[in-house]
Amino acid sequence: MNLYFGDILPYMGELLTALGMSFGITIASFVIGGLLSVVVYLGKASRVRVFQILASGYIGIFRNTPLLVQIYLIYFGLPVFGVNLDVFQASLVALSLNNASYCAEIIRGGFESVPRGLIEAGEALGLDRRTIFAKVSLAPALRGVYPSLVNQFVHLFLTSSIASIIGLPELMHAVLEINSQTYRSIEVLAIGALLYFASGFIISLLARGAERFLFRWAVNA
Amino acid sequence: MFIEQLLGLLRAAGWTLALCVSAGVAGTIIGFLLGVGQVSKIVVLRWITTAYVTVIRGVPVLLLIFFVYFGIPVLFAVDLAPFLAGFVALTVVAAAYMGETFRGAIQAVPRGQFEAAEALGVRYLDRTFRVIMPQALRIAVPSLTGYLINLVKDSSLIGIIGFVELTRAAKILSNLTLDPLGAFLMAAVIYFMISFTISRIGVAVERKLAPKSKASSRKLATTAIPAGN
Repeated sequence: MNLYFGDILPYMGELLTALGMSFGITIASFVIGGLLSVVVYLGKASRVRVFQILASGYIGIFRNTPLLVQIYLIYFGLPVFGVNLDVFQASLVALSLNNASYCAEIIRGGFESVPRGLIEAGEALGLDRRTIFAKVSLAPALRGVYPSLVNQFVHLFLTSSIASIIGLPELMHAVLEINSQTYRSIEVLAIGALLYFASGFIISLLARGAERFLFRWAVNA
Repeated sequence: MFIEQLLGLLRAAGWTLALCVSAGVAGTIIGFLLGVGQVSKIVVLRWITTAYVTVIRGVPVLLLIFFVYFGIPVLFAVDLAPFLAGFVALTVVAAAYMGETFRGAIQAVPRGQFEAAEALGVRYLDRTFRVIMPQALRIAVPSLTGYLINLVKDSSLIGIIGFVELTRAAKILSNLTLDPLGAFLMAAVIYFMISFTISRIGVAVERKLAPKSKASSRKLATTAIPAGN
């Protein structure tokens, strides 16, 4: 066996463009899924029984079935209802919904760690409900689970590779494409692995740097 | 008609289970060794096992599956049957995640336990296997069951390299019946039931391994004290 990376070199631009797509879909579905997860959490924490059941059902279903099946359901199943999503839209919807179910559980941990007394203090100070939620509840909750959210982001980045199966032109897709053109399987897969690994590593490093900036208001950092 | 389709998917789910059980067992054994390796006193061993766990966990599972599928025939000049390729790929992945779980669990056992055993003159092997490991195992159970559910979900990717497990079977069925919604919904329900069963078993195991409740140990204490009186 002889490894030869020379054949891959001309494709580096393609790989990096595809990496950009991976980042794009990850960021987009993390933001959309993240916002949705707050709604799901509020449903779960709500006093209305129907909301609780809906939110728990949502989390249970999306966490206990494979992302690939979810992608297939959205991409191949929704057209039955006349909803035709293209590859990008289907990937975005599937990854966002999937991410929301994981983030909802993470955020729940965060909210539950905020002491009840803090919210009572906010009420005693006469803050309105929205301010209490955003500044007294949400902000410390996010700070507490920030590392878990970063992990989830990296995890989402890695799992976004599954969208390549329905043809989203992201990194994994480019790797497979180049593999079928050059037959340099090990080489191109190794470069793909390196790009995924390095990206995940850099995301973690940047996130750690951002933590100090984002939570500079914290008293005991 | 519907029953036939469901039976077909259930048969494929049997293959999903076969993959997950075999890779789960192999992955747990290798993962245990990786976990021990990561807290070993031997620097080289620690370095190698940590590198393995870090790298595998930092790369998409799908990419690793392709790596095994394309790589093994090139590296070792053997062709793997689809099931075997799936088994190897899932084992490689499972071992890394289980290794991380075991490392965390071993390190979560209070250091004092080890020191106490040492002070009592318990031999090294007994210290490891009868003092530390039982406690570490108990700590590891919840994350191990959590990971087993992930393994079942990851096994859906084995269909991509050509082995007909549940997801692949659902894909084939949807092409035959032209009803993707029905086929994938059935698959989703079966996956859900598998995951649900695993988490139930996990809870049962956790309860079985849990230290005796405070009530019963208090009872023990009260019966013990009069004896010393």
